[in-house]
Amino acid sequence: MADDRSLGSSSVGRLVSAAGVYGIAALFLAVGALLQATGIIRGFLTIQNMLNIVDAAALVGIVAVGMAFVTYSGHFADMSVPTTMGFTGYVCIELLRYGFIPAVIVALAIGLLIGLMNGFVVGKLKANPIIWTLAVNYVTMGVIRLIWVNKQIYPDMRGSGQKAVELFDNIYRLRFFNLIGLPVVMLLVLVVAGQFVMTKTSFGVKLKLTGSSLRAAKFSGISVERVITTAFVLTALTATIAGLAVTSLSRVGAWYNGAGYDFKAVTAIVIGGMTLAGGRGSILGVLGGSLIIGLLNNVLTLLGVGTFSQDMIRGAIFIVVVGINAKSLRSLGRDDA
Amino acid sequence: MKRAAILAVALALVALVAMPGFSQTAAQKANLAASLKVDTSVLKSADNQLLLAPSTDNRKVPTRPADPSALPETDPLHWYDMEWAGWNVTPTNLPKSPADGAIGKKIIFIVHGSHPWTTACTSGAKKVADAYKMSFKVLDPNWVKDVQDQMIDQAINEKPDMILLIPLDAKGAVQQARKINQAGIPLHMFNTLPDAAALNYSLGWTGPDDFGQFRLLAKAWADQMRKQNPGAKTLGVAYVQHAPGGSPYFARSFGPISELATYAPEVKTLEKASPTPATFDANTTMQLVSDWLTKYGKDLKGICASDDSAQSLGIFQALEKAGRTDVVVVAAGNSKQGMDLVKEGKLFGITYQTAEGDGALAVKYAADWFNGKAMPLRQNLAQHIITKADVDKFYPPQW
Amino acid sequence: MRKLGKNSLLAFGDKYRIYILFALVFAFMSLFAPRFFNVFNITSILKVISMNACVAIGFTVVMICGQLDLSIGTVITFAGVLALGLKPALGYAGSIAVAVVAGGLVGVLNGLLVAKAKINSFIVTLGTMTVLQGAIYQFSGGNSISVSTPDAFVISDFLGKSLLPLLTPRILISLVLVLAMEAYLRRTRSGRNFYLVGGNRNTAWLAGIPTDKYTVAAFVLSGVGAAIGGVLSVLESTAATLKLGENSLMYVISATIIGGTAMSGGKGGVLRSVVAIFTLEMLYTGVILFGLGNEVKIFIAGLILAYVVLYEAYATYKHENDLGRRPELMKELEARRMAKEKA
Repeated sequence: MADDRSLGSSSVGRLVSAAGVYGIAALFLAVGALLQATGIIRGFLTIQNMLNIVDAAALVGIVAVGMAFVTYSGHFADMSVPTTMGFTGYVCIELLRYGFIPAVIVALAIGLLIGLMNGFVVGKLKANPIIWTLAVNYVTMGVIRLIWVNKQIYPDMRGSGQKAVELFDNIYRLRFFNLIGLPVVMLLVLVVAGQFVMTKTSFGVKLKLTGSSLRAAKFSGISVERVITTAFVLTALTATIAGLAVTSLSRVGAWYNGAGYDFKAVTAIVIGGMTLAGGRGSILGVLGGSLIIGLLNNVLTLLGVGTFSQDMIRGAIFIVVVGINAKSLRSLGRDDA
Repeated sequence: MKRAAILAVALALVALVAMPGFSQTAAQKANLAASLKVDTSVLKSADNQLLLAPSTDNRKVPTRPADPSALPETDPLHWYDMEWAGWNVTPTNLPKSPADGAIGKKIIFIVHGSHPWTTACTSGAKKVADAYKMSFKVLDPNWVKDVQDQMIDQAINEKPDMILLIPLDAKGAVQQARKINQAGIPLHMFNTLPDAAALNYSLGWTGPDDFGQFRLLAKAWADQMRKQNPGAKTLGVAYVQHAPGGSPYFARSFGPISELATYAPEVKTLEKASPTPATFDANTTMQLVSDWLTKYGKDLKGICASDDSAQSLGIFQALEKAGRTDVVVVAAGNSKQGMDLVKEGKLFGITYQTAEGDGALAVKYAADWFNGKAMPLRQNLAQHIITKADVDKFYPPQW
Repeated sequence: MRKLGKNSLLAFGDKYRIYILFALVFAFMSLFAPRFFNVFNITSILKVISMNACVAIGFTVVMICGQLDLSIGTVITFAGVLALGLKPALGYAGSIAVAVVAGGLVGVLNGLLVAKAKINSFIVTLGTMTVLQGAIYQFSGGNSISVSTPDAFVISDFLGKSLLPLLTPRILISLVLVLAMEAYLRRTRSGRNFYLVGGNRNTAWLAGIPTDKYTVAAFVLSGVGAAIGGVLSVLESTAATLKLGENSLMYVISATIIGGTAMSGGKGGVLRSVVAIFTLEMLYTGVILFGLGNEVKIFIAGLILAYVVLYEAYATYKHENDLGRRPELMKELEARRMAKEKA
């Protein structure tokens, strides 16, 4: 959407607000291309390398697309994502013996229940979303470890059929035309669907209003509770999908599966131009945010920068990008970043 | 008459103090005899291996160079203080063995944290403790060093006959060992090799010789790379490292690097890195290795990983995407996923890392000490590289 | 005297919730947990909480200001690694000073980015957390750092020695810091201002309080508190592990919430947070003394946190008609305005 209120902000700020996260991505790509042209790095501008970046970003992207609905609704983030991923992975492996489809359905149902619960407590009772979901994360971790007594479980050691185990193994590993993995396909489908829901449906409009001003949304007769609950359910469902993929990739149900995906997803969302205040940003931006992190890691590794230094650079760039974004929004007269 | 009696009593007391051997009661002697009869050599772990298999490695302990850190990192002796910690310590104030038998002794087993590995390790330890009818108590600080410190306090307060400890941190172990030593309680450390200074206060140390295992693994790895690339002048390799903050981070990369510097000088280290922020995440490892494959292409001939489960699965995901089957991959073992990968012919070799044997050897060490045996300062677990040829023998996995 | 009705009884329970919880847990464990109620065990609990108590001092102030600081865990480790890593070069006085100042500087950076650049504190501190994690690994070269010189052991033994029953010097230092901060927040005008800034930023600004300065100050306190906690811990253990502060973030956030400090700001107290830490640690120790596993510990801690959040949310849901306002703070502002007019 074009903004006609631009009041002459800094050129960088204008660039960011105009091109959004894809401007930054273009910048990184240009730097990479330049480095390759001058012979400092090699193999950067190849289809294989670009596909690698997308592959690596797929799981975080899937979680981020869902969690973006929570952020967009003005409820920051869902910190129960890590154990939702771990728990649903365990459940699916445990139930594989009843067949692949039933196991996946039950796992999704559990994700749905966690989302409904979060949505009710945050939407209806107005608990602080971060703290509540943190508590849920704790409790779920306790549940996992109580049920499976500190054990991890393997898909082919719970008396499940060969077929089910193979199907489960392929959640992550299935590739189309030996080029594009199933997680990437799922990510793209979710992005298209998410973008559509957010911009073209009445739910999207309600969500935007809820995120921009909860009170205004309420007074205009929107059932904000239902809107917020839907946002949390979407997060939990995408977390479940990513959880099944992670579990499939590492071939084990373990309580540490999914650790760190909460912060990774928030990083992608925020770099993608969505503000924590809510009501601003887009799913396409979130996709860009996920890709940019992978792109940055890729260029740095090709340059030979160690992973520890990469941490520092990633953190610094994160703050700078968000800072510029906040500044440009402010100079555009939207002091709510 | 009275004076003679006093003299006799005094003499008896002196004898008691001076010659502990004589101070033993008949009951203690009987207990010792019974304890010595216990046969633990028949015990087996869940993977059908002998539970107690100490190393037969008889490499000589080298002398410590004046300043190991001054040597280059490719020199094995640069890593002297990590690799050979415990061999030349100055035992300080160590308690003497009561030599009255292991049966009925109370030991407290302090592990590092909850993990399936730990569960297996504890069950192995319990098998030996049960054989000796020991009172066996496990404390698990769940990976928090402060809590481990607190548990050590609690253990000291319970006055057990021995504390067995997996130190959560090599350096932090020094003060932990010192505290237990000052309380006069015998201490035995196992699994994680602490700083040499900590072993001054410990009866001994038992566990896997991470450096030794990886030197062995490195040779097998180099041999295979040579076989697959006959006549190659350089063999480029990369290391996926362990999480920073402990000896595996160094042993599982610099062990092979320093070993191959002389054994296979054509092996050239192209990269070594610990995937961040999640060291043992398959997706993060996949990304790192994909980038290496882009960067080095066919020059990358081998990868050595510090973990045969998530890390290795990530590595093979990256290799498959790049259509590479020529890269020789080895890893620290031996998880179920790792053994499956060996069986499929993907992973070339993994180290045998018995979790049950680790705990069992520690308790066996304690029992032998209670039985008055002269114990070595350090006892390694048997070293073995699992390959496709013998992987079937190691099923079912211990954890 | 006013008669205690049902409502005021509830209010009483609400206000002193954490102290009541503390008393209940203490009584339960003393009665039923084996080897719980003795000087030795209580001392060991106090020892283990003293690091997180220091961390909670500043963190609570940040929460009172209505902000969040995710960087505390890495600040603890960073300060610990600096305090021991620089000791050979600078001596203890120098290295400790550098470590604490570094914690303060991280706070300044966090505070300025939040107050001046107006970036959400969740984002800012997530960024500094990532940067610091890399810095810790880079500085330490991937290995934990220890000092095994005689003076290190002298200091370590001193910090861990029992002065009086229940008190070692390290516990005493932490206790003094906690009580000093509690008194400052409760008794001084500038201390009260943190609550006003957190309660309603705009109103506080209109009342003439430099809100940005207080926000920065809160983050500095958080950085310094975390650094002190880390430094004291490594001085006693003579080793700085790279995971030193790893568990502190979630632990301290949970304890602060359970203690009654609201994430929306303007409410809470340092002593309450520390009492909550003590309560949680008694529970943990009790669970272990009962011979139960860590899974039980995690489950119970989660349930308590969930219960407290749910209860608070439910209570607010029932009572709150006035969005974003806190009557008790409005009263205080009113009183101040009156006082100013009189003068």
